Amino acid sequence: MSGKRPTSPWPPPPRRSSWRRDHHRVLQDVLDFTSNRVATSLLVWTLVGIALALPASLMLAQSNLSRLTADWGGRPGISVYFELGAKDAPLLAVRLEEQPEVESVQLTTQDDALREFLAYTNLHEALADLETNPLPASLRVTFRVDADLSALEAEATRLRQENGVAEVVVERTWLQRINVAGRLAQRLGIVMGALFAVGAVLITSTTVRLAIEAQLDELKVMKLVGASNAQIRRPFLYFGAFYGAGGGLFAAMLVSIALLILEAPLRELLGSFNETLELHGFDFRFVLGLFATGAALGIVGAMLAVRQRLSRLDVL
Amino acid sequence: MGRIEFHNVTKRYPSGFNALKDVSLAFEEGSMWFLTGHSGAGKTTLLKLLLCVTPPTQGQIRVNDVNISQLNARNLRYYRQHLGTVFQDHNLLTARTVFDNVALPLRVHGMSERDLGKRVRAALTRVGLLQRESLLPTQLSVGEQQRVGIARAVVSRPKILLADEPTGNLDPELSRDIMALFQQFNQAGATVIVASHDRNLIRSMDKPVVELSHGEVAYGDAHAA
Repeated sequence: MSGKRPTSPWPPPPRRSSWRRDHHRVLQDVLDFTSNRVATSLLVWTLVGIALALPASLMLAQSNLSRLTADWGGRPGISVYFELGAKDAPLLAVRLEEQPEVESVQLTTQDDALREFLAYTNLHEALADLETNPLPASLRVTFRVDADLSALEAEATRLRQENGVAEVVVERTWLQRINVAGRLAQRLGIVMGALFAVGAVLITSTTVRLAIEAQLDELKVMKLVGASNAQIRRPFLYFGAFYGAGGGLFAAMLVSIALLILEAPLRELLGSFNETLELHGFDFRFVLGLFATGAALGIVGAMLAVRQRLSRLDVL
Repeated sequence: MGRIEFHNVTKRYPSGFNALKDVSLAFEEGSMWFLTGHSGAGKTTLLKLLLCVTPPTQGQIRVNDVNISQLNARNLRYYRQHLGTVFQDHNLLTARTVFDNVALPLRVHGMSERDLGKRVRAALTRVGLLQRESLLPTQLSVGEQQRVGIARAVVSRPKILLADEPTGNLDPELSRDIMALFQQFNQAGATVIVASHDRNLIRSMDKPVVELSHGEVAYGDAHAA
């Protein structure tokens, strides 16, 4: 059966390898296995990515809403709208500026209001047909950061008594609504995060179980030649981490695409409040967080699959 | 490690079938034995008990005076690392090359790739398949697949070599070649137990025989344990 035969049929004795080499070998096997199943890998990444993207988006939105309201909350203000044709706005502006708790007063005359309105709309022709300017003059009163908020309400009540004043809006009210919306988004993010995390775990668990089934023969032989449970488990934990981490990166990509789509209308919306769009939170740490969360959920899913399937592994 | 003793071993499967009944045998270290008998006589069950894939219902199996049914997980691993097993249906991994199939036990044992390469090629040389190391098992003939299985069983230098119908699908000439290989491993110090129903082949090898019939020892040169 063979040509020249050695004196002893036994080859030389083995030398123990390091733990690192074993991991390297397993990693190589996992990469080979998954790259041979590109369609499956992409499907799993997409599913895990979607599961992670939604709660991540909500958390990002909540974080930005909090920041936005915190910024505005530090500058409480009152908007005063005058009746059409009222001449009292400049005088009232001067009086308000003299008050110690007022930081600044911005006067918008009827003409200024019309110019701003035209800048944001394409209604030049419609407005040209009007004989008079339909937009009121207004004052935007910004109070100091340390101003007493109850005093704000009192000031608003007093301003409503002034000549020519049509309406007074305390901006604290809608800031409070945004805060409530932010808290709602946060709770929703936590609930959805938990639900979708379970989903991500189940997706990776199912995928890893399929990988176990595909390698069942190999596992049986490994058991017979004395593989430890850790050696049996290791490739599948890598599978889980690989699918989960890939899903995390996919989620970051989905969030980034969503932000690109929403950027223009968001910028316009914030511009109407004299604010500029400065998105916080979508940075390297956010992507790293998604990556790590995905990997952790993937490992949990893999551990579930391994525990369930390998405990029932019949060697022969 | 190599002396194997069966003390009043009975194996009853959950279906109620008694595969082995009160079997007592002793295989000396470094010996080579044939295990024969009709289909269902208990040959495969006896090998499974030695592999610890199923426990005996009664009795003890001792290897080097250790009851292998009571090994903990760690010692079971260690014990199995000293066993080599050849299956009738080869149990080769069809998606792995011949080289990777043979290398599997050494990888499990944690050998470096360089040493592993030498050992695998030495084993493949022994079975005459060195030129086929990069092929998949499905590209080999049945006889070649069986030889890959043998190379995998011996590559880690087991102290005990178990073979379950290793020549079941092979022609007489190839069967003799494979038996000659087992004999060489035995001469190098391994305890070899071959389960086979090929009486002509067994006679030609001139080795001690244990015959099982309906789960009992019908005839045997092996000492009563």
